[in-house]
Amino acid sequence: MDLKQLLRGVMLFAGLTDEELEQVAAICTEKRLQRGEVLAQQGAPGDDLFIVTNGFLEISVAGEDNSSKVVVNLGQGQIIGEMALIDQGPRSATVRAISDNAVVQVIRRKDFEKLCEENTRIGYVVMKDIAADLSFKLRHRNLTVG
Amino acid sequence: MAIFKVSYVVIGRAHPGTIANLDHRPEIGERVMLGDEEFIVVEVIDLMPPRGDFHFIHATCRPLAEEDKQKIT
Repeated sequence: MDLKQLLRGVMLFAGLTDEELEQVAAICTEKRLQRGEVLAQQGAPGDDLFIVTNGFLEISVAGEDNSSKVVVNLGQGQIIGEMALIDQGPRSATVRAISDNAVVQVIRRKDFEKLCEENTRIGYVVMKDIAADLSFKLRHRNLTVG
Repeated sequence: MAIFKVSYVVIGRAHPGTIANLDHRPEIGERVMLGDEEFIVVEVIDLMPPRGDFHFIHATCRPLAEEDKQKIT
């Protein structure tokens, strides 16, 4: 499956045209992870958005006593790092591969912002989809702690 | 091309749950691999109304029981 087809299955890009998806695909780079490899560390600066295209990644948050709690596992089609992309704050969680040969697509913030400035419709659609994705994650979180 | 964004919540043991996309709607009784572990779906509901090709689903799962594992072999 080509990258454009993969991106079509990601809610973040729902509503984009073929041409717009090609523009997004042009700023993606692939990163492969081995089991246990850390993709992002809580508290560290983060400039990248990640899209899971294979395998599973574990999202964990450190508590006040430094213990780590896994809050969700994310599989194919899910996005990671959208909070840092929007608010430019440090990583809110640690992200670790929990399956062999996990694969993510990486979008750098500066490339994403440049694309959104050049094509404001992409920016509008993606920002709306990020909000919907955060809403879904919150609903999932409410169900797991309820 | 329908895409099913599924929030899996595991009952019966501590598990953070999983969010993943599927190319089909999960069904009760379906076995699903979440990471390295296999679970069985016991409930499926629509979490939010569909938007375009995307459907938003909540699926409750439980770990496989011994009798479930025997059915595999």
